[in-house]
Amino acid sequence: MKKTLAMLIALCMVFSMVFTASAFADEPFVVNACIASEPETIDPGLISSVDGSTYTQHQFENLMKYQMVDDLAADDPNMHNTEVVLGQAASYEVSDDMCVYTFTLRDDIFWSDGEPVKAQDFVYSWQRLVDPETASDYGYFLDNIVLNAAAIQAGEKDKSELGIEAVDDKTLVITLEAPCAYFLEICAFASLMPLREDVVEGNDDWTDPENIVVNGPYKVVEWVHDSYIRMEPNKYYYDVDNLGPDAIVWWLSDSQTAIISGYQSGEYSFVEDFPTDLIESLVESGDCFVNPYVGTYYLYLNCDKIPDWRVRAAMTLAVDRENIVENVTQGGQVPATGFVASGILDSEGNDFASGVSDLGALYNTLQEMYPDADLETYSGKCELAQELYAEAVEEGAWDPSTTVVYNFNTSDTHKAIAEACGADWKSVLDMDITLENQEWATYTNGLGEHKFGVARLGWIADYNDPVTYLELMVTDGSYNYGLYSNESFDEAIAEAKATLAGPDRDELLYSAEETLFGEGGFPVCPIYYYTSIYCMNGLTNVAFTGMGYYFFWYAQQV
Amino acid sequence: MTGYIIKRIIVAILTLLVIMTVTFLLMNAIPGSPFLTEKSTPEMIARANAKYGLDKPLYVQLWNYIKSYLKGDLGTSLKMQEGTPVSTIIFHQGKFELSLKLGLYALLLAVVLGIPLGCIAAYNRGTWIDGFLRVVTTVGVAIPTFVLATLLLVTFAVKLQWLPTVSGSLTTWKAYVMPVISLSFYYLCYVAKLTRTSMLDAINQDYIRTARAKGVKTRSVILKHALRNSLIPVITYLGPVMAGIITGSFVVESTFSIPGLGKYFVQSVLNRDYPVIMATTVVLSALVIIMNLVVDIAYKIVDPRITLTSKEA
Repeated sequence: MKKTLAMLIALCMVFSMVFTASAFADEPFVVNACIASEPETIDPGLISSVDGSTYTQHQFENLMKYQMVDDLAADDPNMHNTEVVLGQAASYEVSDDMCVYTFTLRDDIFWSDGEPVKAQDFVYSWQRLVDPETASDYGYFLDNIVLNAAAIQAGEKDKSELGIEAVDDKTLVITLEAPCAYFLEICAFASLMPLREDVVEGNDDWTDPENIVVNGPYKVVEWVHDSYIRMEPNKYYYDVDNLGPDAIVWWLSDSQTAIISGYQSGEYSFVEDFPTDLIESLVESGDCFVNPYVGTYYLYLNCDKIPDWRVRAAMTLAVDRENIVENVTQGGQVPATGFVASGILDSEGNDFASGVSDLGALYNTLQEMYPDADLETYSGKCELAQELYAEAVEEGAWDPSTTVVYNFNTSDTHKAIAEACGADWKSVLDMDITLENQEWATYTNGLGEHKFGVARLGWIADYNDPVTYLELMVTDGSYNYGLYSNESFDEAIAEAKATLAGPDRDELLYSAEETLFGEGGFPVCPIYYYTSIYCMNGLTNVAFTGMGYYFFWYAQQV
Repeated sequence: MTGYIIKRIIVAILTLLVIMTVTFLLMNAIPGSPFLTEKSTPEMIARANAKYGLDKPLYVQLWNYIKSYLKGDLGTSLKMQEGTPVSTIIFHQGKFELSLKLGLYALLLAVVLGIPLGCIAAYNRGTWIDGFLRVVTTVGVAIPTFVLATLLLVTFAVKLQWLPTVSGSLTTWKAYVMPVISLSFYYLCYVAKLTRTSMLDAINQDYIRTARAKGVKTRSVILKHALRNSLIPVITYLGPVMAGIITGSFVVESTFSIPGLGKYFVQSVLNRDYPVIMATTVVLSALVIIMNLVVDIAYKIVDPRITLTSKEA
């Protein structure tokens, strides 16, 4: 009797184990991620945010794509770097003058409704992006790169005159204004994803789950606005068999408390954007990791309100960047040594931010001008700052009783940085600062009116080339809020944009950035290079690009 | 009574027109544009303005709003869900319904618990029960909603894991618990304090003394005589609270990830999404007007001596 009972119990245990195991095996693998609140749009032609681009990268595939490589992005063994490789294109050829790219599309590419992806779909989406009627934030993106893009944006030419042509269903020819070193990188950009004219045109609701047609690995199947976006594999995607998650649910939240609570309770497996005061403890617990992120946090120093360059240089030197990243932002940010963000590479693969010297572009020219100055230490920088400031005051170029207005948009972090800078300027230069806090829409409006003395902004790279930063400072540029103007700088940027990647071009760009921080310069005061901070649990094979996009296509459960 | 209601409806429509005009002028007076981003240029903003008719003179834009509202068209979102009709965002995506549900449950909790607690405190005036309730209600009125919401979230969702951190579209009873408590606690405490004060005031009236002298039982004195009169200030308070509880649910909706209208209302202002600002303001104003009408009618039911029209007087 005892034996029979024991056998029965053993059998029950075996059955229950088998049953439980099979139940786990059948359980779908769902990635629950929260990277931002509700996106304004997921229309590739209209997106301008990093989160919107991330959703787009999961749903669409461009001529080129970001592919995961073995290298790790940071110290997280589950997070990999990416490189740009062929995507929907099977191959490409470049003309001898490097101005004409001929792409041949893959044969096995289809839209999520089973229709083949054609070269015309790229022509349509690229023309749609530059069409002024579309009013896209990135309408300018192809200006001076693809033939006639700038003229179309200016309304001088028709969109059909854009330098892109579908020779046949599988052959796409793109003509550039001049050789462009980073053109292939641009071909992976989210705003340039192919679109189906018959799906998009005349249908304002085309991005709704029931209408959207995509050509990428995942497709939106459900979107509860302000709550979540659910994506499932696109069965027509050529690599669908190798995709990881059975579903990706992007939770939409704007509350940092809610986001981190969701992660800590196990409801989310990946989150970005949480309270900075928790970073230290989350890093210690092994949940939080820091990725380098190609972006610079900087201050505009208005050349109109602070006309003497020595005062601007003194303000730049007097900021204790180490203190800001260690005690204020606390997210592993790197003190800036130039305007071009760390992670942007020159033609030889060197980090542009540290390409010329250890000091960086921010201090190089000053070091040459003042060889006795010790610009490797903060105290040395402060000494030179005081010297430059005193010179300007002595010559009557600056009234020391002036109170400078420092504008920032509402945020605890921006406020803390402003207070730290203000304290540095007061203690080092005895300069008075008034902090003015404005909500975002009012703030950005004020930037264009140039009424500030100092104003903060962050710039995330659109593509991996120094031009994405340096061209912001050309005379009359839309983002040149500090009203900087230097003819030789403008010429160097124009020349670099028309020069092929190589040492000559690198030289032009390096010297342009040093001009920016030389005599007559300092229109910006770079503070730190951004980092992308995330918490991840239970996932591996996740990929990241320095532009801030995370990819879960091939993610696996740990 | 019917004549009074018709008159109030006409006044309500005129009030809404005034609200629309003032809202329109205010939202155009503040700097900014729905198309301003870190990467937008003046040319791009000008093109977008032209596309959506924002380059037209203000009086033309206002007239266009009024015309489309008279046709029942609330316009389309310029920023937050670009191109989507605002009526779809508010009504068909369930935002209004969610906020209304949340607000009603919170209000219900505030009334169902607040009034009895106020009565108990008044009845036991000067005792430890009164003292305890006064401390609790004072703390409840003083504690900010975001602190209470965060406290509940960390305790019950993160530490104990009894309740979900994401309440979402409120599909289960568990999803309601923390948002409703967070939202209603302030109002609950305020209603309790208000009830206590007006109840104490009523208890000292001559008619209560008369009732007591006639030998009416204490319970009857409280429930039948004192409570009825002491409810008038509470009802006055509850009318506008109904609308306030929806617009004021921003923090709760944000903390518990609920896609409601309160959150949208605040975000529309920050995003300068003009049609959404206008529509949410009009919808919520209509709600306030309706609630005020309901309150006026409720006065009449609670205290028949109150007159609604001069004719009745």
